[in-house]
Amino acid sequence: MTKGKVLVIDDEDIVRTSCSRALTPEGYEVKMARNGFDGLRMIEEEEFDLVLTDLKMPDMDGIEVLGKIKEEWPGIEVIIITGYQTVDTAVKAIKLGAFDYIEKPFTPDALVSAVRNAFEQKKR
Amino acid sequence: MLVKKSLHSLTGKLIITIGTLMIAGSLIFWYFLFRYQENALIEGSVKYGYSFVEYVRKSTRYGMLAYQKLIIQQTIEAIGSEEGVLNIRIFNRQGRITYSSNKKDIGTILDKTSPVCTGCHTEDEHPKDTKTWSIKKEKDYRVLNIVQPIYNEPACYTSTCHFHPKDQKVLGLVEANLSLALLDKSIKQQGIAMIIYVLVFLFVISVVLCTILWKFVSTPVSLLAQGMERVAAGDLDYQVTINTRDEMGDLAKAFNAMTLDLKKAKDELVEWGHTLEKKVMEKTEAMQKAQAQLIHSEKLASLGRMAAGVAHEINSPLTGIVTFGHLLRKKFPEGSEDREDIDVIIDQANRCSNIIKGLLGFARASAAEKTLINVNDALSSSLNIVRNKADFFNIKLIINFDESLPPVKADPSQLQQVFLNMIMNAADAFDGKGTITITSRTIEDEGKEFVEIEFSDTGSGIREEDIEKLFEPFFTTKPVGKGTGLGLAVSHGIIKEHGGSIFVKSKLGEGSSFFIRLPVYREYKS
Repeated sequence: MTKGKVLVIDDEDIVRTSCSRALTPEGYEVKMARNGFDGLRMIEEEEFDLVLTDLKMPDMDGIEVLGKIKEEWPGIEVIIITGYQTVDTAVKAIKLGAFDYIEKPFTPDALVSAVRNAFEQKKR
Repeated sequence: MLVKKSLHSLTGKLIITIGTLMIAGSLIFWYFLFRYQENALIEGSVKYGYSFVEYVRKSTRYGMLAYQKLIIQQTIEAIGSEEGVLNIRIFNRQGRITYSSNKKDIGTILDKTSPVCTGCHTEDEHPKDTKTWSIKKEKDYRVLNIVQPIYNEPACYTSTCHFHPKDQKVLGLVEANLSLALLDKSIKQQGIAMIIYVLVFLFVISVVLCTILWKFVSTPVSLLAQGMERVAAGDLDYQVTINTRDEMGDLAKAFNAMTLDLKKAKDELVEWGHTLEKKVMEKTEAMQKAQAQLIHSEKLASLGRMAAGVAHEINSPLTGIVTFGHLLRKKFPEGSEDREDIDVIIDQANRCSNIIKGLLGFARASAAEKTLINVNDALSSSLNIVRNKADFFNIKLIINFDESLPPVKADPSQLQQVFLNMIMNAADAFDGKGTITITSRTIEDEGKEFVEIEFSDTGSGIREEDIEKLFEPFFTTKPVGKGTGLGLAVSHGIIKEHGGSIFVKSKLGEGSSFFIRLPVYREYKS
């Protein structure tokens, strides 16, 4: 029995793997998508509790993915991963319903703690 | 002094003209005077001649009335022997010489064409019966000839001799020839004296005229000419010294005034030339500076874009390094050497991350949210952050705020970042102990108003060759690991974005002053 299902959407393989390697030992089931389209298709096919999405991606960016998820699956929490944190985008993301945002490069502990917070929020 | 002495000079012409006029004038004048005097003398002689003849007539009257021919002849001879009397003759009506001082003439008959008779007897006319005179030239002297008629009178026709009938008007003539040799001599002497007077007069007048012309015309004219030559040669300080109160003096004054004006005009022109040159140089310098700054800004901007791109790309691999570093770290027991090695990897990755954050700040300078703010407030916020830091315990902060600072339009958080960076840099300039002076003021540069903030430290100063590179990304003089070399580059980018400027003045060993200028918000000014 897993603590929950997490989908990581990032165009960078190393970021996806890092998230997977950090979260899997903590008992989360981690799936990965290389872009926004793939990610949304996967959400349609199976249920996820949490989505970690990169902000800057080709074709469809993190804000768009966040908007789509909050529109169709409001129950899924979203954490934005950004290597390019600005007040603007952070405010925008939170306004659109993101639970949190996490800056690259992040430590496994920081990621796990953010994910854990999100799940606790979900339970309430 | 150089005065032209030729006949073409002004003086020469004047002297020739006036001299000629004077010689001609005085010749005419003296000639007429001479003639007038001669006439007067002759007139006197004629008067004398008439008296003389009358004297002869009266002397012989008794003899005539008494018809004493011998007495008459003797009387005439006696009078005729007087000096200056050439001869005396008495004619009867028929023209016969009846008595003469020269006995040989007696009895000679002269007809009406003889010189004695032509005085009265002219052709076709009734003879005049008045006394006449004439002058004729002898060998070396002139002779005055006087002819006077002897009128009939009662005593004559009533005389015992009954010689003359009553109806005759003129009975005869008395003729006297008087020598004018003395008169001629006197006239000649007078003429010579007059010529001498004229010559002396002309000489004196010429000398006086020359002197006057020389003193009042030639000298000033040549002085003026000399002055003009000097002025033409460029000596505009030259002044002509003619202090007379005449036209020459006025001319000299006018000339001096003109020279002064000329000098003034020339000086102004030269001044203009200098100013123009200076202005052109200043403008050229400003343009070069602006161009250099433009190039510099463009360089920084493209560096910023590149830095942002690099930062973004590097963040993901760094995430991998950090994550896997942590995962690996957990596999080694606490305190083990391997674990410490991995800590170094993680630390260095974090350092990379910090560098990238700086780079991103540098690139982000353009995304500012500007509002009207007071620079003093932003400075105070930045100061509050550092004031309680341990690094600042031994640093003296002197704050000189201009309380009447006009507002600027700026992003407060970005300004705070810049100010913080300035203060931290100042603190890094000395080893823990020193003074930082922060001053805010309003200044005017090229007609525009700016708020200027000055950060002065008493630190080590900046080397000249480093000043140019100061605002370039990754340039740092701090020890490795301490500075990213991005603080000033980011600050520069932010201030540029706000339409301001940032520059530094530094003296090695004495400290540095960083100046930030931000344009005053325009609507506030009007």
